[in-house]
Amino acid sequence: MSDSQLYKAQLLDHFKKPRNKVVGELSTMQIVKRGSNPRCGDDIEVGFSLTGNIIHSIQFRGRGCSVCIASASMMTESTKGQSAEYVKSIAAQMQRWIAGEDVNIPDMLLPLEAVRRHPARKKCVMLAWHALVEGMDECNV
Amino acid sequence: MNSATLSKTRTDKQSNLGGRINPERVKALFPIFRNNELTRNLSYLDNAATSQKPEVVMQAMDDAMRLFHSPVNRGFYPLAEQTTTRYEQARERLKSFIGAETDTSVIFTASATDSINQVAQGFLLARLKPGQNVWVTRMEHHSNYLPWQDVCEKSGANLRIIELNSAGELDLDRHLDIFSDTTAMIALTQTSNVLGTTNDVGAICKQAKQMHIPVLIDAAQAVVSNTINVQQLGCDFLVFSAHKMFAPTGIGLLYIAPDRLDQVQPVRLGGGMVDFAADHIADTTWSEAPHRFEAGSPNLVGAVGFAAACDFVESLGQANIKTHIGELASSLYQQLSHYPNLHLVSPAKHLSSGIVSFYHDVIHAHDLAQIMGDSGVAVRAGHHCAQPLLKHLGVSSTLRISISVYNTNDDIRAVVNALEYAEKVFA
Repeated sequence: MSDSQLYKAQLLDHFKKPRNKVVGELSTMQIVKRGSNPRCGDDIEVGFSLTGNIIHSIQFRGRGCSVCIASASMMTESTKGQSAEYVKSIAAQMQRWIAGEDVNIPDMLLPLEAVRRHPARKKCVMLAWHALVEGMDECNV
Repeated sequence: MNSATLSKTRTDKQSNLGGRINPERVKALFPIFRNNELTRNLSYLDNAATSQKPEVVMQAMDDAMRLFHSPVNRGFYPLAEQTTTRYEQARERLKSFIGAETDTSVIFTASATDSINQVAQGFLLARLKPGQNVWVTRMEHHSNYLPWQDVCEKSGANLRIIELNSAGELDLDRHLDIFSDTTAMIALTQTSNVLGTTNDVGAICKQAKQMHIPVLIDAAQAVVSNTINVQQLGCDFLVFSAHKMFAPTGIGLLYIAPDRLDQVQPVRLGGGMVDFAADHIADTTWSEAPHRFEAGSPNLVGAVGFAAACDFVESLGQANIKTHIGELASSLYQQLSHYPNLHLVSPAKHLSSGIVSFYHDVIHAHDLAQIMGDSGVAVRAGHHCAQPLLKHLGVSSTLRISISVYNTNDDIRAVVNALEYAEKVFA
């Protein structure tokens, strides 16, 4: 019935079993940033801790649509253990990729590919990334 | 053929549809459902957001551009005089459509939102005193909430909210001071764009009148399926947009009761609304109503389309429309009530509005709307520009099905089938 292929198995898997998603507070994380989109009700918090400039721990919590939750889940997997410089670079690439540009992103983010054809859902993908970048900007890494 | 003859011919043609709505036949009057690959098999159920346009409205607007386009109220040559006549005929049509006393009370604006803002800024702001109350309801669209919130905060007045009872209706008994001398204004929707609840605006106007409290009615969601008569209602202001009733975007109606006309200051200043432009604004004099509220070149094409839409709606008959959309909404409601993860927020008693809103325990409204969209079912998901209501309901978004004259049982089946599919995807 649906021909958009938006709801790929990998995306649904991350939605149904989100990685690094917690129910309570993100109180063990050094930096916590909120991302919300009142238009659709997506409302999440992303928290991370650094060792030097390496993200050694990252979690998120909140509520949102499948695209928002799956994207946040994939983001935590793709950034854990990575340097701040790398993460910022991937976040910038994601922004361009989701806008339709032909740029490379890590394979584990590719299940979001179909979202590029749905302008109304692009904010859902980027919500977690924007919160993460805001947090990194705040701690100057 | 003069305009009156042309208009009557079209009305008679539409009237042949009279009586019970035949949606397939009505649908054939809407070119979008046959001219576009995306829409040919579309179940368009986003009518509370905006309606599709019938051929007669397009034809009237096309005529306005092809046959008699020139300035309105500004020319002395025959074409311009004819154009002015057409524009004023459109006003006359709207006047009869809402049962207004006089055409001076019938003002064309940019939208229902624009109409409300003009009343808030041009009428209420100057008379509102600190400590007074302005009442709106919990079910208002932002367009009938934010303008009042703004003037209250500028004046030191209080924005008060008429809450809802468990039946999704206004709980007037909870607020004993609504109809008191502390109230400066009441502004409420006739039909909620989220719940579909239709309020007894006539009763509220009647009570308010006893205390000389001005009332504004937002009839944007009600006008297609309810005959409006402003004199019977006894309202001071009434607004609606054209685009939700089969006419174009960019034009709306503002009705101001005759005894309130001189109490409203024009908010839009410019061409066509001034008699004498003095050296200082204080010495400038405004034109007579309604022209003083219509600054700038009037929206001729929009007004002509608006008037044609009045013909179209009346030819089908608002009572027939209400029956049709109510029956489809009831059928949908009944089918949806069997899904345990689905929560209906529209009151069963108010389905004649054609609006059915709900949320799902597992599937976010945007995901559901996306899957429905991919299945050829156009619906709305989100807060519907009614965040105070959604907060009250305790949800961030709902999915709304809104039914119109061209919808059929097939469209309702398409919704249910898409829901079944979505539940499988997210199982």
